Amino acid sequence: MVYFILKRLVQSVFVMLAVAFLAFSLFRFVGDPITQMTGVETSIEDQERLREELGLNDPFVLQFGRFTADMLQGDFGFSYRTRQPVAEMIATRIPATLELGIVALLISLFVGIPAGVYTALRPRGIPTQALLLTTLVGVSIPTFVIGIMLIFVFGVQLGWLPTFGRGGTVFIGNWESSLFTIEGWRALLLPAITLGVYQLTLTMRLVRAEMMEVMRSDYIRFGMARGVPMRRLHYKHALANTMVPVITIIGLQFGGVIAFSIVTESVFQWPGMGLLFLESIRFVDIPVMGVYLVVIAFFFVLVNLIVDLLYVVIDPRLRVRDVQ
Amino acid sequence: MTPRNLRKSALLGSALAFCAMGAAAETLRWASTTDPQTMDPHAVNSAPVLSFLNNIYEGLVRRGQDMSIEPSLAASWEPLEGENGWRFNLRQGVTFQDGAAFTAEDVMFSYQRASNEAADVRSWFAPVSDVRVVDDFTIDFVTTAPNPLFPDSIANFMILDKGWAESNDAALPARDAENFATMNVNGTGPFTLASRDPGVRTTLVPHDGWWDDAAHNVTEAVFTPIGNAATGLAALLSGEIDFIQPIPLQDVAQVEGRDGFKVLEGEETRVIMFGFGHEHDALLYSTDVTDANPFTDPRVRQAAAHAIDIASIDRVLFRGKIEAANQLVPAGISGYSEANENRPEYNPERARELLAEAGYPDGFSFGLKCPNDRYINDEALCRAAASMFAAVGLNAELSTGPVRDYWPQLREDDFDMYLLGWSPGTFDMEHPVRFLLHSQDDEKKLGSWNFGNYSNARVDELLPQIQQEIDPAARQAMIDEVVAITQEEVAYIPLYTQPLIWAAKDNIELTQRADNFFMLRWVTVN
Repeated sequence: MVYFILKRLVQSVFVMLAVAFLAFSLFRFVGDPITQMTGVETSIEDQERLREELGLNDPFVLQFGRFTADMLQGDFGFSYRTRQPVAEMIATRIPATLELGIVALLISLFVGIPAGVYTALRPRGIPTQALLLTTLVGVSIPTFVIGIMLIFVFGVQLGWLPTFGRGGTVFIGNWESSLFTIEGWRALLLPAITLGVYQLTLTMRLVRAEMMEVMRSDYIRFGMARGVPMRRLHYKHALANTMVPVITIIGLQFGGVIAFSIVTESVFQWPGMGLLFLESIRFVDIPVMGVYLVVIAFFFVLVNLIVDLLYVVIDPRLRVRDVQ
Repeated sequence: MTPRNLRKSALLGSALAFCAMGAAAETLRWASTTDPQTMDPHAVNSAPVLSFLNNIYEGLVRRGQDMSIEPSLAASWEPLEGENGWRFNLRQGVTFQDGAAFTAEDVMFSYQRASNEAADVRSWFAPVSDVRVVDDFTIDFVTTAPNPLFPDSIANFMILDKGWAESNDAALPARDAENFATMNVNGTGPFTLASRDPGVRTTLVPHDGWWDDAAHNVTEAVFTPIGNAATGLAALLSGEIDFIQPIPLQDVAQVEGRDGFKVLEGEETRVIMFGFGHEHDALLYSTDVTDANPFTDPRVRQAAAHAIDIASIDRVLFRGKIEAANQLVPAGISGYSEANENRPEYNPERARELLAEAGYPDGFSFGLKCPNDRYINDEALCRAAASMFAAVGLNAELSTGPVRDYWPQLREDDFDMYLLGWSPGTFDMEHPVRFLLHSQDDEKKLGSWNFGNYSNARVDELLPQIQQEIDPAARQAMIDEVVAITQEEVAYIPLYTQPLIWAAKDNIELTQRADNFFMLRWVTVN
């Protein structure tokens, strides 16, 4: 098991290197950082000197090599835009993104799984049809439209919830958290729903489809014939068998939730990594963009690893194979 | 966020809670699209930074509500006798926000810092050959040639405290890594920094020891950058912010239609124009004329100018909020040529005739480049213009892109015709002549935004004379000549002055200055 984890972590380094390489080869098409860093009155000569100082005239391979070598030594460089250390910039933004992503995930699970089970067990009920229809609408509308609609209804018209930012945050060590104040939760609710709605629909439909499949299988029918209580059949035997594919998809999706929270963060001016990345694109802030993409790649690898480990917990057959 | 700032914001948090109970506290919450990249007044020469820091730092001179130059840290100034340059008599009794006294040494230090290679604002000091401290409250700026506009040109040159900067290792602006002055301030201005969380929230509080009488009643000002226009509007309408700059044109009706909010409209000093590849031998993006550049013929440029219907653009795209432009600065800017106020009329017939005279009776196709995130409605404007060009036979192949990619393309001469907006940094006509009309000359640092390299020997000859002429009438005569030449030759097609649209709650009184700077010292919260 330890060997398995280690192997995965070593693989992750190569994944991150590959991402960094791809990212770097794309950066040259993003634009020119110098024109974004300097004012209109700055002379061409001064612009060229800055370009030289930042090593932007060096060949691609050299720039990439320098970036990776510095990263491997833990030196993440400095932002072109704010001159702050990139590691510090990203680190201060991670809590906002992670909390948003996790709360979105929890919303989607706590609503999506029961809803999936319900719609599977009562496939023809009116609530089922209503649920399926609303979630279909929810998933067809682009995230930013959902976000703006929620803002205008709950923020502007009703005035119940804040329209932007994180509200009240407290520091737990270096971790700036929204989870410990009412204001923080109020600010978190709309973006988390916006981010979670796609995930919710997916979870619900997946659980529903799997559950209906499982309910038709022999062992459930056999259980019914033997007189096993329906409650026990539904929630113990059927649901457990439903969860393996669900966890795979949800786990993989969670990486996406973190990576694509960019849109939600932009709509809600949520000060997470995604917003930082957007600002960095606008200013062609290559060091920040590079580190962000590598960090996101790392999240993906990590999430995949956790999914693999969860399999083992949920599916006893895998445990047996591991022992052999 | 560094521990230092954490403490500050924690303190501020409790201060906030305390203030909320007091009746006199007037908190202003405002938003804009871009966060100032740095708190260092010399590191970046960009409008978001200079606008923000003008609340904290001050220059020798400053601009009033109508953009006029008025005394600030210099109480008065006069030309030097016997040599070129200016003597500034400094204000006495001014203190920095940390309590240190302001003297000529601080000006000298700030000059050295701002003119250093590491500073982005150093171009302001290109004409300066020497600076001398005469006594504690007198300083001389010697210039290489007579320079009547020098005091006007340094309105954004902000003074910081020598002792503070040196003792905090911030004697030079941060170029690579940040330094103390990136996140901390010590100016003489009306406000000082209470907390800073870059990209998230920046809080200012009044500087009690400010030398001037405070005309504002703000006790705390909280700035939040909101990049997404719809989010910004929602934040205003939900009451979470009091003021936002700018709002998109299409949201004006939405704000005006609600009780308790108002829209502030003005004219920015930015003129939007089309430029040509004057120097190109052949069109780059043409499907029919590939061996020549028709735009080298003034008649073709004139035809392009006659093809544009500004009134329709104003009505359809800008809801009647733009002012047509006839030269590279709008009326009201010093040096504006009243003698040349006619812009080419909209006349497609004439345009076709001119094209026929130039040898293109059937017109030709060419490439038009436009940014899509730089100016208000820039992409829509170019689409409209392209169809107007097409109506006279000029088939524009439009390509648009984000501005971060746009300037490099223009620098590499990758265009046939392009869109440009120009705001005169010194609020004088000399500025666009220097950057847009003088031939490209990297050595003399002239014509650096003259992408198409429009070149006219007489204009090149007049620029230094305009820069040095003391007599206003003689100077205006020379500017009139430049404007007449460049209109005659259609160096550019000036289109219109960009509107400036801010929105605020009804209880906020503020001043909308033409340079798009937001000055907290003129804000009243009722």
